[in-house]
Amino acid sequence: MAAARGLSAATPVRRILALGGHEFSSRPADRAVSELLLRLAGEHGGERPRICILPTASGDTSDQIASFYTAFSERSCEPSDVSLFRLGRRPLALRDHLLAQDLIYVGGGSLLNLLAVWEAHDIASILSLAWRQGIVLAGQSAGAMCWFEAGITKSSGKPLAAAGLGLLGGSLCVHYNNEPERRAAYLDAVGDGMPGGYGLDDHAGLLWEGEGAPAAVTARRGARAYRVSGRNGKVAESPLPARFLAAPAPAALREDIAEFRRIKTMRKRAGWLG
Amino acid sequence: MEMASRQIVAFGGGGFSMESGNPLLDDYVLGLTRSERPRVCFLPSASGDADHYIVRFYRAFSAHRCEATHVSLFRREQGPSDLRRHLLSQDLIYVGGGSVVSLLGVWRAHGIDSILREAWEAGVILCGLSAGSLCWFAEALSGFHGQPRRLRALGLLPFSNCVHYERGSKRGEAYHGFLREGMRGGYAAEDGAALHFRGEELSRVVASRPQARGYRLDVAGTRVVEMRIATTYLGDRDAPPAAPLPEALSTAPAA
Repeated sequence: MAAARGLSAATPVRRILALGGHEFSSRPADRAVSELLLRLAGEHGGERPRICILPTASGDTSDQIASFYTAFSERSCEPSDVSLFRLGRRPLALRDHLLAQDLIYVGGGSLLNLLAVWEAHDIASILSLAWRQGIVLAGQSAGAMCWFEAGITKSSGKPLAAAGLGLLGGSLCVHYNNEPERRAAYLDAVGDGMPGGYGLDDHAGLLWEGEGAPAAVTARRGARAYRVSGRNGKVAESPLPARFLAAPAPAALREDIAEFRRIKTMRKRAGWLG
Repeated sequence: MEMASRQIVAFGGGGFSMESGNPLLDDYVLGLTRSERPRVCFLPSASGDADHYIVRFYRAFSAHRCEATHVSLFRREQGPSDLRRHLLSQDLIYVGGGSVVSLLGVWRAHGIDSILREAWEAGVILCGLSAGSLCWFAEALSGFHGQPRRLRALGLLPFSNCVHYERGSKRGEAYHGFLREGMRGGYAAEDGAALHFRGEELSRVVASRPQARGYRLDVAGTRVVEMRIATTYLGDRDAPPAAPLPEALSTAPAA
């Protein structure tokens, strides 16, 4: 079982990585985020960790699933997807599959639909168990807000407050400075009594590892994480110091290096053979 | 005031989603609207609002014969802002196939379930195939996720429903089993057959394929009683009208 791999501690460390927004593209900031996901999965699962995407919030779009596989299929890991709208064509044992992962990544889209579909399929209890077993939970946008008590969603068009699963206390607002109307709605909501929490720009993230405050990370200069708290109708917003995530060499470059080594080896062998 | 005619057409399977080149069922539901240019709205929720499915809908329901729209609940920012108003202004609401469990979850989250009941009562014709058929009934048999499951749906029609009811299928076996365990009686339809309800009564069964049939299933004591319903094949213009009452076909003994 994957849950038994990696950490040997009696009580597994509960980890959640919430990301303000990113894509699985070849841009440096996006590659840095993918690298962090791979590293976190590896800390749980070793050399070839299992990473599964839940693209539910998008309606299981092919684009989201394909970009995920593009980012991870040539890396040292076992990527998979659980598409609840496509299970008819590809049935699988949901619970067993999810609990065998090292990292479960939740894609963006509609927070409202995400939670509704999860409830219909009874996914929330499996994810909560996965978290308690030490499987890393991660996600961006709707896939980040879902772990909190509340978030600001545009599922119905305009940005509105919505409840999440509540594994993490407080609230989260994603695409923070990238979508000013969402940030404004969040500050209003916290002023009106919504529990305070965090704002995350695209390419900024917060990592919870066990108890205590989260560590902020950023993959793009200028992308920040903010602590947002309300008191007596007033809202305070302060940026958090964040660790910078450098982008790894692009896949193409890694391939070039590998190819160069192969050729070098072949030449050596050829020379040796005479 | 007279109550509007409430109509639901539940396809066991068929229409543009499954029968490309055979428009008989889609033509039938369009014809029911009695409008020259009916307003038709597609709800692809059960597919997760799959793009390719939406494109196929617009090709099948082209602008020269109707005014077609769709509502994507995963991309609300792009569609009509007042969902209720949009749905109530339609002549026909067409629900696509996919996962009925996900469909019901998403509809409840957006309050679509109560809007559809309202639309039905106001005379908007409701139709759909597969998940888009199961959703209208009180209980449904979903075979989407491997093992067949019994689940509650919207309950506009006080029956159970089973789609893709092909001879010798796992679904048929499972449906009989659930009926013996206390699931309420209901209707099953093969691919190509459609159950047309007026109010809560089955009005007729129509088909896009000559052999496709609909069935009525009831439990008598411990026996499941299955009756094949006379079906009108839509492809034959000279076909006589179907007999209004189901004909007895077989009685399956309890296991």
